[in-house]
Amino acid sequence: MSNLIKIALAGEGGQGVQAVAEIITEAAHEDGREALYIPNFGVEQRGGVSIAFVQISSDQIRAPKFQKGDIVIALSERAIIRTKQYVDQNTIFVYDKSITNVEYLPQNAKYVLGIPAVEISKTELHPRVFNVVILGAVVKATGVISEQDAKNALEKKLGHKFEQDSNLRELNYKALQRGMELVEKVI
Amino acid sequence: MIKNLLQGEKKVFMTGNEVIAWAAIAAKADIMYGYPITPQNEIMHYWTRMAPKAGKKFLQTEDELSAGFTTIGGVLAGKRAFTGTAGPGNTLMQEPVSMAEMMRLPMVIVIQQRGGPSTATVIYSQQETNLTCYGGNGEGLRVVYSTATHQDLFDYTIKAFNTAWKYRFPTFVLADGYQAKMRESLTMYDPKDRGIDMVPVEPILGKPGVPGIDRSPTHIRNTYNTEEELYDVIMSIAQDYEKFAPEIIEYDEQNINDAEIIIISHGVVSRAAYGAMLELREQGYKVGYFRPITLRPFPAKQLFNRARQAKMLIVVESALGQLAKLVKDAIYGCATPIENLSKPGVGIISEEIVERVKTLLKGGHFNVS
Repeated sequence: MSNLIKIALAGEGGQGVQAVAEIITEAAHEDGREALYIPNFGVEQRGGVSIAFVQISSDQIRAPKFQKGDIVIALSERAIIRTKQYVDQNTIFVYDKSITNVEYLPQNAKYVLGIPAVEISKTELHPRVFNVVILGAVVKATGVISEQDAKNALEKKLGHKFEQDSNLRELNYKALQRGMELVEKVI
Repeated sequence: MIKNLLQGEKKVFMTGNEVIAWAAIAAKADIMYGYPITPQNEIMHYWTRMAPKAGKKFLQTEDELSAGFTTIGGVLAGKRAFTGTAGPGNTLMQEPVSMAEMMRLPMVIVIQQRGGPSTATVIYSQQETNLTCYGGNGEGLRVVYSTATHQDLFDYTIKAFNTAWKYRFPTFVLADGYQAKMRESLTMYDPKDRGIDMVPVEPILGKPGVPGIDRSPTHIRNTYNTEEELYDVIMSIAQDYEKFAPEIIEYDEQNINDAEIIIISHGVVSRAAYGAMLELREQGYKVGYFRPITLRPFPAKQLFNRARQAKMLIVVESALGQLAKLVKDAIYGCATPIENLSKPGVGIISEEIVERVKTLLKGGHFNVS
């Protein structure tokens, strides 16, 4: 299972990490690969750190969760603290640059990348497409799905909204593009 | 207007709870009774979304005791009825299930195990193994299918209805919170397209005609006056159970013929166990894989025959020795040492199993090649 890719995405409730996980795994499934996505869930209804565990492979996927991710994305300070345990020397760790307190960043990752996704979505795009910027970053960092697959998955998920306002399609595509560029720059 | 919601084979990607609702539709279930508890809630949510379109029904009850007894009511009326629960709800469910055992009622129960004891976590465990196999004040005369994949969830939910109605024992689909909440792919199908006929249902009480005149009266009981009377009834139920067991028992084994070490696991953990077995094989270890699919009745003979040829067994589970207890009971008399990897309420991955096996071998207790 050398082609297995393990991704952990973590953020605050409302940042949309679960939607990103859903889009990536749906896209991989549509592409004919095996995909498994499981959210973490606890007794809290809101306010906790939300984590999504994603695995994509050509073979059947084994356990639903994993010990170490190939890519770990943390979008808040609490998310950094929660997800450090999934990092080892093979992990690419991505965090948002709006997190100013960097003392909790993992020291053992292969790379630690800070990307200004919050700022870009706020100033250049729209805060609501923040998670699509993140989606772009994951797509570029892992190559786990193609840009076109990601676009198709967005279309599938948001197509009914795009129908009503075609600017939304543009906005989402641009967010995807910007996310990919952010990672391209730092890698 | 009743629609056939499932047409042809379809590869889909969805959560396990959604799979179960679809499987119940595919199995032509008539009604679900239930009370909300995480992580099984979405079975009810998806069922209630689809059921009206398919001309089916749902009743939310005031608790799991009631959900179980109303399921029995549905069954008595001749409906393909089922319920779903988890954790403390499964504890309450054992009371109606005991009644179903005594009366030989084909109720179907889906369990999405969560952490225990008590409220514990809403997430995951395999700690309802004892309870689901042997809960209630009886002898555990029920069928328990332990699923590992979404395909299993679909296949065995359909099968559970047929097993229940064919053999007239309460039948469980035992899954867990991971399987409930995760998304993966599976193929959905209409059972009849695969040559699977649904065992017909019929009213158990209230059949047409006058009892004693047009037909013999139906008298099903859960109360007896004398010890001897009860003894005869239980022994006859147990005898039926023993008789049907060989037809019901299912298990999976891989790379077992030359195995010196056998990894034994059930449910979602067997996915990791299978991965560990493959990895250890690649590294030259003679490791085999055994997975009971039915925990009740347990594939005892099958495991015994494998176990006595091995040099070490390792039981891997997300509970503190619940599967190990079933295994020890099944292979009593076999001298092969049994080791454990037990993580109550916590998921297990392949790497941990590989490490555990290697540690055991390094300890030098076992003379394996």
